[in-house]
Amino acid sequence: MILSVEKLSFKYPNQSHYAIQNVTFQVKKGEWVAIVGHNGSGKSTIAKLLIGLLKPENGIIKLFNTVLNEETIWDIRKRVGMVFQNPDNQFVGTTVEDDVAFGLENNGVPREDMIKRVREAVQQVNMEEFLQHEPHHLSGGQKQRVAIAGIIALQPDLIILDEATSMLDPKGKQEVLETVRHLNKKQHITVLSITHDLEEVAKADRVIVMNKGEIMAEGTPKQIFSLGVKLERVGLDLPFAVKVSNQLKQHGLPLSSNYFTVEELVDELWTLYSSK
Amino acid sequence: MINSMIIGKYVPSDSIIHRMDPRAKLLLVFIYVFIVFLANNSVTYIVLTMFTLVLLFLSRIPIAFILRGLKPILWIVLVTFLLHMFMTKEGDLLYQWGRLAIYEGGIKQGIFISLRFLLFIMITTLLTLTTTPIEVTDGVESLLAPLKKLHVPVHELALMMSISLRFIPTLLEETEKIMKAQAARGVDFSGGSFSERVKAIVSLLVPLFINSFKRAEELATAMEARGYRGGEGRTKFRQLTWKPLDTFCLIAVFVLAMILFVLRS
Repeated sequence: MILSVEKLSFKYPNQSHYAIQNVTFQVKKGEWVAIVGHNGSGKSTIAKLLIGLLKPENGIIKLFNTVLNEETIWDIRKRVGMVFQNPDNQFVGTTVEDDVAFGLENNGVPREDMIKRVREAVQQVNMEEFLQHEPHHLSGGQKQRVAIAGIIALQPDLIILDEATSMLDPKGKQEVLETVRHLNKKQHITVLSITHDLEEVAKADRVIVMNKGEIMAEGTPKQIFSLGVKLERVGLDLPFAVKVSNQLKQHGLPLSSNYFTVEELVDELWTLYSSK
Repeated sequence: MINSMIIGKYVPSDSIIHRMDPRAKLLLVFIYVFIVFLANNSVTYIVLTMFTLVLLFLSRIPIAFILRGLKPILWIVLVTFLLHMFMTKEGDLLYQWGRLAIYEGGIKQGIFISLRFLLFIMITTLLTLTTTPIEVTDGVESLLAPLKKLHVPVHELALMMSISLRFIPTLLEETEKIMKAQAARGVDFSGGSFSERVKAIVSLLVPLFINSFKRAEELATAMEARGYRGGEGRTKFRQLTWKPLDTFCLIAVFVLAMILFVLRS
């Protein structure tokens, strides 16, 4: 078990309601789990609790079977990488290679080792041509990929994406998700993505839906998308393809709904049409 | 556009001066600043100027860049020259016009002081033209390292410098964005009376400041999440290497100092 959260509760100071209430879930090794929820559902608070930036009021967080507390926090942080929302505000170095090296420097990795690991990490996110580039010459998607490189250079066991694609254009978002998918499938790095984007959710193995600080539903993307109206009621927008196919099904079209992208929908529609 | 004004000063090249260790360059400039004051007659000023011109030549920087660096201070140089010319009453009287008198010593002194000024600016411009800001930061951190024993936060200062440098373009971009956003709401940045202009600037500064604080906080969070906890036990990715060339350059400056010391009157 990579991550297990038990009966977690948290309240921000000076606020009466709980941001997180009685949340329990687990993440297994190699899984891609998505936590979705509307703004204020508490999903970003979970991310901050998991990496020890906030302290829970109640409940236990276990990462790699170690309880997260003041003593273990720095060891745990070495094994968890977090990508934040704003591409600019997490770029510390003056160039791509400096930024990728930042985490390694913090952990006292010897310089020769560092050079090798920076190079490898940058290759894995396809940014090797940009090693010497400065952040303001990169697109948002490229900066997020550099952030990911900075994390994989530390060889983590878990990557947390905290709304990492929400400020990117569609192309940047695709690039970042593709990179993460590759890491998840090829390197078997566990991924926990916190998002309100249901297209990103479609890529996950398992989805946890949050509403008002509590878990509302849990299941595979397919199970979650079949909730339909319930999701829309908590402020989540279904992917376009899912919406269209739901409507078509209501009109009696025999669609399978095993897909989340427009291409897949189009494919099913034309095969259906030509088989008539 | 604005970018190139502030940090685009660095002119990339592969000259001897560019390849020098930033620590050597910083030390050279530091010593040079003192040496300049040793010069006090024509011979010493000629030697000093020759030395500086050789450095400029070695840097292979187009003379236009150097002149651009000198432009903003030309007025000060001119005023200094005039002041010394009129105030120094030594040597033969060359010209008198009412109470204004120009002496030979005045002209000489004026030229010397202005030249001192120009040389001083030239050498510092040369430093910024041939050294990237981050190299300067690394150099400063390394040179000040002994002060850590006195509990001077050298590492933190260097990190602050490098983060500031990294965020200059980001903040300029943001300034541009806010200006456009405010202009779209009817704020006029280019015209109007003084008080109107101040108001326009305030509408730019307030969001800029709020955003910067937000940025700073997020950056701190990201740094902590990436395991940053101060300079202790940290290794460095960028490394400075002291080469024989650097030792040679420093020796050259000391030799220059001795020559000046012997030749000065």
